[in-house]
Amino acid sequence: MIAAVASLRPSQTAVPRDIGFFEWFFDADTWTGATGILDSLRDTVILCAAVTLVAVAVSVPVAAILAHLRRAEVSSTWLVSISRAVPTFAIAALLLPWSLERGWGFEPWPIFIALLSLALVPIYLNTYTAIRQLPEGPVDAARALGYSERSILTKVELALASSLIFSGIRVAAIQVVATEPIRAFLGGDGLGRYVRDGFGQNNNTLVIGGIVLIGGLAALTGLIFVALERLVLPDGVRRLTRQQGETSP
Amino acid sequence: MTTSTTRSRVARLLAPIAVLGLFTAACGSDDGASSSNSEPATTDANSEMMDGPKIQIRGQDFSEAITIAEVYGQYLEAKGYPVEILTPAGFRTEALDGLQSGDFNLIVDYVGGTQVEIAPDAASTADVDEIVANITDPLRALGLTLLDYSPAVDGDAFVVRGDSEASTISDVAELDYVLGGSSQCPERPQCLVGLEDPEIYGITFADFITLEFGPLLGEALANNEVDAVIWNTTAPQITEQGFKVLEDDQGLFPAQNIAPIISTELLEAYGDQLVADLKELSAMITTDDLLAWNTETDIEFRESDDVATEWLKSKGLL
Repeated sequence: MIAAVASLRPSQTAVPRDIGFFEWFFDADTWTGATGILDSLRDTVILCAAVTLVAVAVSVPVAAILAHLRRAEVSSTWLVSISRAVPTFAIAALLLPWSLERGWGFEPWPIFIALLSLALVPIYLNTYTAIRQLPEGPVDAARALGYSERSILTKVELALASSLIFSGIRVAAIQVVATEPIRAFLGGDGLGRYVRDGFGQNNNTLVIGGIVLIGGLAALTGLIFVALERLVLPDGVRRLTRQQGETSP
Repeated sequence: MTTSTTRSRVARLLAPIAVLGLFTAACGSDDGASSSNSEPATTDANSEMMDGPKIQIRGQDFSEAITIAEVYGQYLEAKGYPVEILTPAGFRTEALDGLQSGDFNLIVDYVGGTQVEIAPDAASTADVDEIVANITDPLRALGLTLLDYSPAVDGDAFVVRGDSEASTISDVAELDYVLGGSSQCPERPQCLVGLEDPEIYGITFADFITLEFGPLLGEALANNEVDAVIWNTTAPQITEQGFKVLEDDQGLFPAQNIAPIISTELLEAYGDQLVADLKELSAMITTDDLLAWNTETDIEFRESDDVATEWLKSKGLL
């Protein structure tokens, strides 16, 4: 039982400064309640999943179509990447007053847009590059067989590029999970709360706990995507990727 | 196509962006940290430089403390002491730790805050002399000496919007307010713990939202995200944004006069002269000065070392 001050609501339980990491981590109270790990984890996972899904929904079609048409190679890449020139934290911090003035609150828009700008880049670049650099043989063959341009894009190009596109999504998702904790420093919650509160209260156990949780979730995200890759990618593409990997490590 | 050519292509595409990124980062406006990296003021050709150990002062990392450190540092330098003003970092805990470990040997702190850190079991009081009595001996045991405090006070403030019905903190008990405060607040007896304690205020807040201490508190309050925040009395945004400070009718907040804390070792090296010099300066600083400095650094975004120099000149100390 960690609750130190009885008058506090459960949401404001103070964590003793001298508590050990394991004692904290394996205490049931650490996991439940409004500031519990489970709640924070849920907040983080929902936001990260939403950001990644929107980033995929926006990036993949736009990049695929432009790459298929061989259009806007430099300009679109610049446009997408320029958002990465500004630190994610700065984007969120700049959007915060704007969101507050409109009565939209601290969350979700500032942090959502900031993370989206982070996630768009690897997905867009990987998709564009993967399709742009496919060998011309299969595409020409498909065209000769009478495939419509639309079918060439969806059935040939996207299929052949899927492995690289998928790795772009994986990178984006991991980056989003690892960056999402900044929301705790901008009036939000999520797993970053432990790092924030640990810094503020000079409580290293909380800081370490937060880092372990965030790092753990990021690592888990990577593993989940590896598993997804096995499920989702066509067998042929996976074999092809492996062969390419052998010839050019 | 192999993955390695793909990678080099991505790298090529990203290279100009990376350069732009560095550029933007270099121009970033981090007003707190970058504002007062004044070069260590050691190598001036000051012929009257006194002999003795170097006085190293470090401010806590928020604008008022940074300016205060500049004021004390530049003042002592003008008096002929060898002075180094370190890059501000950390807060009270780090300041007191650094003093004890000898990373630096002079800080300026708020006495009520020092008491929370050094003598946490002593009763919170609005009487500054009582606080001084409470902390002098515990500090001495750590090899530190508290010098004469200044009349300048920067205390905790319970801040609400100008149109709030409350005029004392007790009134808030009826209002079901959402409170905003720093991440220290929930564990501090002088903050949320005391406000909720039935024997002091016994307020039940609708919610508590953790906010970075600083302008974000004002943004949140002005835009109705919270109904009250725990801020400090010299925050210039309070008048700027039309907020009001509620009366602390139960005396929860301690007296927060600023006072230098010096390592006893350094004190012995310079003796009474240093005590007298610091006392003279501390006595000249007023609460209005703190407010004016904060307005210049936080609202007008001026550099804290310039603000300090200007003030010292206006007082004829430079």
